[in-house]
Amino acid sequence: MLAFFLMLHVLRGAHGAGAPLAPCPPPCQCQESGMLLLVECAECGLSSVPDSLSPFTSYLDLSMNNISEIQPEAFQNLPFLSELRLSGNLLKHIPGPVFRGLYNLKVLMLENNQIQQLPSEAPWDLPNLLSLRLDANLITEVPAQAFSGLRSLRHLWLDDNALTEIPVAALNSLVSLQAMTLALNRITHIPDYTFHNLSNLVVLHLHNNMIKTLGQNCFEGLHSLETLELNYNELQEFPVAIRTLTKLQELGFHNNNIKAIPEKAFLGNPLLQTINFYENPIHSVGRSAFQFLPKLHTLSLNGAMEIQEFPDLKGTTSLEILTLTRAGLTVLPQNLLEKVTHCTTLPSFGHVVQQSVRTLPCLDAHLSHPVFPCRDLSWNGIEAIHADAFTSLQSLVKLDLTENHLKVLPLEGLFGLTHLKLRGNVALSSLFRVEDFPQMRVVEMPYAYQCCVYGACSAHRPAAQWNMEQTSEEDELHKKAAALLPVHTYSYDSDVEEFQMELDESKLQTSVQCTPLPGPFKPCEDMF
Amino acid sequence: HTPGMSTGCQSGCLTCSDYNGCLSCKPKFFIFLERNGMKQTGVCLTSCPSGYYGTRSPERNDCTKCRPECDSCFTGNFCTRCRAGFYLHQGKCLQSCPEGRAPNDAQRECVPECP
Amino acid sequence: AAPRALIKVTLVKHEPTGTPTLTLEGVFAGGSVGYAEGKLMQSHPLSLCNSSDDERLDSSVISIVKLESNMHRCLPLLEKAQLALERGAHAVIFDVTDDIGAEYELRDTDSLSRPVVLIRGSDAEDLMGLVNRNEEANVQIEIKFEPNKWQQYDV
Repeated sequence: MLAFFLMLHVLRGAHGAGAPLAPCPPPCQCQESGMLLLVECAECGLSSVPDSLSPFTSYLDLSMNNISEIQPEAFQNLPFLSELRLSGNLLKHIPGPVFRGLYNLKVLMLENNQIQQLPSEAPWDLPNLLSLRLDANLITEVPAQAFSGLRSLRHLWLDDNALTEIPVAALNSLVSLQAMTLALNRITHIPDYTFHNLSNLVVLHLHNNMIKTLGQNCFEGLHSLETLELNYNELQEFPVAIRTLTKLQELGFHNNNIKAIPEKAFLGNPLLQTINFYENPIHSVGRSAFQFLPKLHTLSLNGAMEIQEFPDLKGTTSLEILTLTRAGLTVLPQNLLEKVTHCTTLPSFGHVVQQSVRTLPCLDAHLSHPVFPCRDLSWNGIEAIHADAFTSLQSLVKLDLTENHLKVLPLEGLFGLTHLKLRGNVALSSLFRVEDFPQMRVVEMPYAYQCCVYGACSAHRPAAQWNMEQTSEEDELHKKAAALLPVHTYSYDSDVEEFQMELDESKLQTSVQCTPLPGPFKPCEDMF
Repeated sequence: HTPGMSTGCQSGCLTCSDYNGCLSCKPKFFIFLERNGMKQTGVCLTSCPSGYYGTRSPERNDCTKCRPECDSCFTGNFCTRCRAGFYLHQGKCLQSCPEGRAPNDAQRECVPECP
Repeated sequence: AAPRALIKVTLVKHEPTGTPTLTLEGVFAGGSVGYAEGKLMQSHPLSLCNSSDDERLDSSVISIVKLESNMHRCLPLLEKAQLALERGAHAVIFDVTDDIGAEYELRDTDSLSRPVVLIRGSDAEDLMGLVNRNEEANVQIEIKFEPNKWQQYDV
């Protein structure tokens, strides 16, 4: 760093301290940044790199021009260049000597060109480069020596190219690499020890390839990997090779062709927080597959038709969302909540086999951390709820029982609800009282008349004619009244005096948004 | 160009309209929803602006905001440069550095401590 | 017919007088009849897709979205409306001039927690013109009372 400033002072002195840093090459725009210069030539219709660039240039943007070739000496005299943007041009090949001498270059952006091959005999010598963007080109292969001059590289974009295999030899040079994407290529297989030198890699994206097979030891060496994305590939088997990824936190292999998740599938990945594997024809799941994942907070087992038994979640204690839609379960464990002590959204059983899950078990398992702000039990076949089902869950604030078969809702324990959804429970026709849910804010009832307790109706009689001759003063009254009345409770067919009565009445109630909104076709009378 | 649509689309745009700007981009371009006062219009870029990261997919390439403490990032969970007051360590922007590392304000990074 | 909405627009630079610069009309979507007031802010249709950038709006904003005819819909219109409301919009106005199916799509919904209004034609053009000129404006959405329109219903 000291050498950098020394050189800057020497050059600046020779150049004349007060003198301008060199004319700005037309049609670019330049801006001084301390002793250095930022040169902006994006979208200027250039077909070559402007010459007479100032030696004090630290930032040069040549993106979105028509440059198809770079003269060998184009960047010779730019010792302070730190960021070079050449994206969105017509470059097919960039010989090694073009970047000679750019020892301070940290960011090189070459995306959206037509590069097919990287130099092999005289590779780019950029010892301080940190970020290299090669995405959205036509690269079919990467020579073994191509990255040998990039020993400091941390971030590499090679996505959206035409690679048919992972450039294993070339990657061996990148010991400092921390994040890499090879997504949107045509890679079909990952051999053993592909990444064995990349011990600092934290993020690896391989989504949208054609990967069918993985070597059993293909991820060996990735000691720091936290995020692995294998989505949108053609994997037939569960990626057992992940067992060596002890730091893994995020794993995605959704949209593949995997049929089973084996026993102890994630035993080697104790730090896993999210696993996304939807859109796989998963038929069977090992009972111990999701054990000992203390950080896992989301688990969705949609469509796992052949699961007969509820997975054993021993040691998996932070689950917040567990979705079991279209599973094959016939029996639910009595002490369901013991298994999911931290669950804030208890299982949405989805279309679990209707006939077997008729009653929700008593939910008063002893809970060490009874933090249950919300519970999604929608779209099940629940016909009855145990009277004490919610008694121990005083912290429950949201309850979604949409589309079930309830006739009665036990109120014990629901005192603190602020959100309640009962839409679709066609047999639930009883009226509730405001006092049943004193904290209520948003409620969806099966029928409109059940919203009337929240002041959602006119004077409980057939719709009256709305008196239209309003003076501006009445208009003012109407606006104030509408503003006070909650959005959903305003009925547009009562006359002004009755309106005034409602206005006083409604002031007493908090603003509760209740749907469906009663109206001429959904009157306040109980239709049964 | 579609009736009611703008006649001149910005470079990189595939379809656009007077009110919404770019609606879709040419292949390999990222669509970025630029906020300017009360307006929000689409623009097509070769890479997302600073403070956003790009996600490519066969259907569309999107720009998504980095975490608040990052100036620039590779993905939502991996920063490449931090905001002032934060220091980069293995893709995370921290307010203090782990043991064995010291904060460097110029680079906004945690650098190895001098022995 | 769906209840009609009055959209009273006041340019911020005319604020002191308080008299609306424009009074336009629209139609409430489904059961979302109600009153709302806030600053007008445009949202690009793509901003209302799950994967898009989660731009939280502060609650005094009324979002306006111009729907396009030839554009791939990432989400059904109802979910777009709900997403905008979830992100904090106090109400949502959709310009459906170029999207003829929109009105039908939202007609029967009753799961919108705040007002959603559909506008078209010259009213939409006036409002979008103002947005295009980036003229900051406050908007009030009210219910327009139709004289003698509602028949006596014997239920």
